Amino acid sequence: MARFLIRSFISTVVTMLLVSMLLFFLIDIGGGDVTVKILGIQATPEQRESLRKQLGLDQSTVTRYATWLIGNDWWVPVEYPIISVTNIKTGENEYWADVNGQATRWMMEDGELFALQRQPDGSTVKEPAEVWQNDSKGEIFWGLNNANSAVKWVRGSGEVVFIKTAAGIREEKDGPSQYIPLSKGMLRGDLGRSMRTRRPVAVTLWPRVRNTAILAFVAFVLIMPLALFLGIVAGINEGKPIDRFISVTSLAATATPEFVSGVFLILVLGIWLELVPPVAVFLTDDAIFQNPEMLILPLLTLTLVEVGYVARMTRASMVEVMGAPYIRTAIIKGMPFHRVVIRHAIRNALMAPITVIMLHVNYLVGGLVVVEAIFGYPGLGNYIYDAAIFGDFSAVLAAAMITVIIAIITRLLGDLAYTFLNPRIRYS
Amino acid sequence: MTVTQPILGSTLPKRPSAIQRAWESFAIVFDSTVGTVGVAMVAFWISVALISLVWTPYPANATDFIQNESPTLTHPLGTDHLGRDSLSRLMVGTQVILVKTRLPDELFGYTLPFGDWPMPVGVAIWGVLGSLTLGSLLGLMAGYQGGWHDTIIMQILDALIAFPRIVLYLVVISAMGQGDLVVILAITITGAPGVARLVRSLAMDIKTRDYIRAAETRGESVWYIMFWEILPNARGPLLVDGMLRVGYAIFAIGTLGFLGIGLPPPDPDWGNMVNEARPFIFVTPWPVIWPSIAIASLVIGLNLFADGYREELTRYQK
Amino acid sequence: MSSKPVLSVKNVAVAYKIRGGEIEAVQDVSFDIPRGGSQGIVGESGCGKSTISWAIVNFLGSNGYVKRGSIKFQGQEMVGKEGEELRRLRGDQIAMVFQDPMQALNPSMTLGSQMKEVLTVHRNMSGKEAEVRCIEMLERVYMPDAANVMKRYPHQISGGQQQRVVIATALLTNPALLIMDEPTTALDVTVEATVLDLIAELRREFDTAIMYISHNLGVVARVCDHVGVMYAGEMVERGTVEEIYKNPTHPYTQGLIRCVPKLGADKASSVLYPIRGRVPPPNNRPVGCIFGPRCDYRQVKCEEERPALRQFPNGQSVRCHFAEEVDWRAWKPTADVLPPQIATKTGQTPILQVDGLQKYYTAQGGSIRDIMGLNKPRYVKALEHASFSVPKGSTLGIVGESGCGKSTLIKTIIGLEGSTAGDAQFLGVDITTHLSERDESTIRELQMVFQNPDSTMNPSYTVGQQIGRPMARFKTVPKNQIRAEVVKLLKAVRLGENYIDRLPSQLSGGEKQRVGIARALASSPDLVLCDEPVSALDVSVQAAVLNLLLELQAENETTMLFIAHDLSVVRFFSDYVAVMYLGQVMELGPAEAIYAPPYHPYTEALLSAVPIPDPSAQQKRIRLEGNVPSAISPPSGCRFHTRCPRKQLLSDNGQICETTAPPWQNVASEHHILCHIPKEKLIEFEPVIREA
Ligand SMILES: Nc1ncnc2c1ncn2[C@@H]1O[C@H](COP(=O)(O)OP(=O)(O)OP(=O)(O)O)[C@@H](O)[C@H]1O
Ligand code: SF4
Ligand code: SF4
Ligand SMILES: [Mg+2]
Repeated sequence: MARFLIRSFISTVVTMLLVSMLLFFLIDIGGGDVTVKILGIQATPEQRESLRKQLGLDQSTVTRYATWLIGNDWWVPVEYPIISVTNIKTGENEYWADVNGQATRWMMEDGELFALQRQPDGSTVKEPAEVWQNDSKGEIFWGLNNANSAVKWVRGSGEVVFIKTAAGIREEKDGPSQYIPLSKGMLRGDLGRSMRTRRPVAVTLWPRVRNTAILAFVAFVLIMPLALFLGIVAGINEGKPIDRFISVTSLAATATPEFVSGVFLILVLGIWLELVPPVAVFLTDDAIFQNPEMLILPLLTLTLVEVGYVARMTRASMVEVMGAPYIRTAIIKGMPFHRVVIRHAIRNALMAPITVIMLHVNYLVGGLVVVEAIFGYPGLGNYIYDAAIFGDFSAVLAAAMITVIIAIITRLLGDLAYTFLNPRIRYS
Repeated sequence: MTVTQPILGSTLPKRPSAIQRAWESFAIVFDSTVGTVGVAMVAFWISVALISLVWTPYPANATDFIQNESPTLTHPLGTDHLGRDSLSRLMVGTQVILVKTRLPDELFGYTLPFGDWPMPVGVAIWGVLGSLTLGSLLGLMAGYQGGWHDTIIMQILDALIAFPRIVLYLVVISAMGQGDLVVILAITITGAPGVARLVRSLAMDIKTRDYIRAAETRGESVWYIMFWEILPNARGPLLVDGMLRVGYAIFAIGTLGFLGIGLPPPDPDWGNMVNEARPFIFVTPWPVIWPSIAIASLVIGLNLFADGYREELTRYQK
Repeated sequence: MSSKPVLSVKNVAVAYKIRGGEIEAVQDVSFDIPRGGSQGIVGESGCGKSTISWAIVNFLGSNGYVKRGSIKFQGQEMVGKEGEELRRLRGDQIAMVFQDPMQALNPSMTLGSQMKEVLTVHRNMSGKEAEVRCIEMLERVYMPDAANVMKRYPHQISGGQQQRVVIATALLTNPALLIMDEPTTALDVTVEATVLDLIAELRREFDTAIMYISHNLGVVARVCDHVGVMYAGEMVERGTVEEIYKNPTHPYTQGLIRCVPKLGADKASSVLYPIRGRVPPPNNRPVGCIFGPRCDYRQVKCEEERPALRQFPNGQSVRCHFAEEVDWRAWKPTADVLPPQIATKTGQTPILQVDGLQKYYTAQGGSIRDIMGLNKPRYVKALEHASFSVPKGSTLGIVGESGCGKSTLIKTIIGLEGSTAGDAQFLGVDITTHLSERDESTIRELQMVFQNPDSTMNPSYTVGQQIGRPMARFKTVPKNQIRAEVVKLLKAVRLGENYIDRLPSQLSGGEKQRVGIARALASSPDLVLCDEPVSALDVSVQAAVLNLLLELQAENETTMLFIAHDLSVVRFFSDYVAVMYLGQVMELGPAEAIYAPPYHPYTEALLSAVPIPDPSAQQKRIRLEGNVPSAISPPSGCRFHTRCPRKQLLSDNGQICETTAPPWQNVASEHHILCHIPKEKLIEFEPVIREA
């Protein structure tokens, strides 16, 4: 058993690593130019180039992957330790340099550097800073700017940079010549910053994950017992009308895409029968707590698609087990039918589908994307969808990684359950 | 040495041709009611696709008619919010899925020949062929060769499988943009791991058979054994799986279309038709209903087909 | 015979509905079993043996039903019995034991709970009481460590022990009828012997009526008093064991007895007579006598009228029109079943020389240290110090129980596995390497015939393609002549030219095996390795295939290695025999020498375990205790010492066997025995079998 568990565990870790690489490089190679999306199509090539640098996109893919995975706050060429501080107003994390116990950032104005010293109340005090260092190319300084990047200023270079603000694109004269956006790395719990908003992904993502988790959990709790029950009933009645009925219905339900069944449910339950509100508008991320009945249609849609799948798996497994010689033995031993089914068959019959069911959590998540899109549900799926459409590299990455982690962990759970159910592995 | 035992069976019938054999092995699906229904549904949509290539009631994108009209004699399925004929759009919607693939003018810097001519056979089918090919190759290597081949291949496939399918589609499409070939690629990538797992388990079973030992003791190469000794015996389950996958693919294309990132215009796309007509659902449900039914019936048809075929297959093996 | 029979089967016919009709798997079978009686049912596969037993417990599946006749169990009609009433009989009054105990036990329940439920359900016993009773019963069937076994799962005990558990479970309620369907077929011969002893003993002790199904005449002879012979759904002959074996009357029974080699018979002094033709499929049986097309005594009447089962004054019943005239002793083989006359071959130039060949597989450990690679790697010592040489044109038979390394030896020689040490030469060429490192001509000269007819041929290719492939691959035959050459080979294995375009699914087991032989011969190899080539075939077909192999060998001067677990077959077929135990050759010598004293103690035990189809023969009873030890850490000294019944003959009760590896003793010319017991003592062993 130890062997089996260690194997699953190692495999899980390797899988996650592989997935992250795959995801990263796939998006990196194929990813369109996000700067166009952010700045709009009227932006000049110079403006776009400047934004690319600010986003750190001029670094090599490998460097960025390493940054994303393990962070870069400990190896960027800034001579002070870098600390992370919570912004009192927004509650978001910020990076500051620890200059002799004083949290500091820098800015350049008219060719000269100023230190911004953070005060306990969150405000800053601006003081001139004499920190230039000599380099082969002249006087330079590596410090932190107020957009959470490590930046290199070169004295007198007069770098022109373009900064995107709510009002538009602002041109600045005294910009840094190099940016390294700071991150603690995925492994240390930093999901990165959205390219679109420059805010930490986590801030917007977690409420979405929570909403999706609620939907998925309720769906799972609804679906599994129902599906297992239907599958078992069909399986022990193989070939009889009840089996045919369950099989064909679940096939039809599974084979119908979520958007079709979703739209039909809206049509039938919402518009014709007027049982539920046909459109649910989720204005805020917390809307589902105010109107729980808004969950009904998304849940029904998910259930329709998923129940069929799991029921079919269970049925197939149950049919196989019911034909097994040891079931024959149990019947010939004169065991009552319910005992044969409950004591002898179910445990063995659940063994095969449980891993598949756990694998199927992927599909559940996939289904969620669509269901959330149909019903405008403020969940993870919608988040990924929006981010992907926008091309917000880091948001897609973070969100997709979360789905993958969920999927892999459920699979690991599936493996564990399998180990537990199967004495052959348990005692080996 | 004299012949002492009788020669057996001198009156056996002649062997049927390869085509006949292929047809016979396919025709078992008609022994199953479910399978026959499935075949009929699929055949219906293929015929619709073929007919639409030469004839539709109206041009699919013509907006000349009354908007959001319920079915009438002139427009048997009604019209949509732009006043387009639903029947014509529904018919043309089958094409890119089933019978044609639109090629870009240029691919990797090479100008493709044949100008505007599409490639025969639809996106769903090419995508599935792609995943069957890739998946079989990987599955055979993992299953037959075992050892580190198996470990590495399965590890990579596990990673791919870990992606929720739609997320993978989204990533591929957000990375490479829209287009028929991109959809084919996305279907190939998302499908290959599943095929590989199937082929791997089949190969692990088949490789224990004595005829594989016989091939090995003949000194056959690994590739010969994989492709000539093992693969042909996996064709039944592969056919079933392929059929189901065409269903998934159509399912996925519809979903992508619904999300607005599927097959690009100008051809109408069923998923997209549902999406566009959705806001007008209070006015008239018909433009939503038709493409919904179309997708559901085609996918269900393929599933029934696969189910029936599988059932008969296992029966014949008994 | 005592008063009222426990089971009375009268003119029963059972049919299975299939698409487009139905097949009568059993037609008109009748027999009675009295209290304490034991009725054997023998016949080839598919003749309906199991179907009868399923009919008795009314468990024919959704498509089977009893079409005619009646089955009375203790006076109650079983046909049509259903529901609660039936359930109460099953497992309580009627118990069953099946072929494969591993399959018959639920893998995810402990053995204890599977046993106890019989008592808690049928006898309303409390869990505690049931537990005590189960342990008693396990001890009764000689299960070591019974209390502990109750807590285990099926995969944690050996096959022989599993079958003991199944038997113990069946006996828990002291049933009136015990049905056993090939209960020992999946077991090794020494294990089978102990299980058969157990059944015979229980039969004497419990007053249970037993219905015992087997395809093996020898097994039935050991445990039954009456036997019925079935052919194609009919019972063709029925009588006491003594009568049937001594005086088989139905032509089919006679054929069955003639087509299996007697233990001790060899190819030079005796011949096997296959029954010609094959069993008709259930939906295509001849009118008249079902056995007609294969019968030597057939007359016009046989084709017109189906014979009835007639009882004779001596109590025997026979289904044959001419039973009175058929004389078993006067039978002469007809030309078409006459086998070749073949002399044993010995002492020519060796073609294969193996010296100290060894094969270890690395074992996977289960502990964390193992996985991290901290522990020393452990090995499954599958083959150790194998040394022998095989003269050209002769056959070396290899016997031993499952897991003793027979197949490893063959695989190493043919190159499917590379050896880990030792030396092996084929015609002077080194063959210790893996196939991929051998040159084409060596590969061509070594070919193999496989065990399982259903997997020996690739289902996707025709007979012609498969036989032709080696010719194309080795380019031994020009492309355009391959077809002609294939036809020739087909003729050589007695298959008509028309087979060339057949697919495997259209062939019977025997035919597939012939094609497998043809394929092996297609590259005209000098050495053919046969891994149980006939053990999956029915006996009548087995004889024909054996004869064919003999003939082809004589014709082409092929050398053979021949593996089989059936000692009679090996004896019959081989010139030399090697006996293996736990990866090691224990005894090696000319076939006739192996089967007569001096024996290696293990050989002696093997021989005494073989069930022989002759109830009057005297067979010494030597039973091995315990299980075969693990090949990862085999016993020190002599590998057989943990089970050897003969080591007491040595001083100190055989201390030396536990510490020192035994020497090879040359007991006669070419006859070697690996044992500490001096050959003078070995020679004094009595023969295991003395025929009456
Ligand atoms: N459920 C079934 N449906 C259809 N035919 C069946 C079924 N079970 C058995 N048969 C057929 O009935 C015949 C007798 O089968 P049965 O299993 O009784 O033979 P058997 O003598 O026990 O063979 P074996 O020695 O191989 O166990 C065979 O031709 C078999 O194919
Ligand atoms: S009835 Fe005729 S054919 Fe049948 S066994 Fe007797 S002699 Fe042979
Ligand atoms: S060496 Fe000893 S243990 Fe081995 S077979 Fe001979 S007597 Fe038995
Ligand atoms: Mg049977």
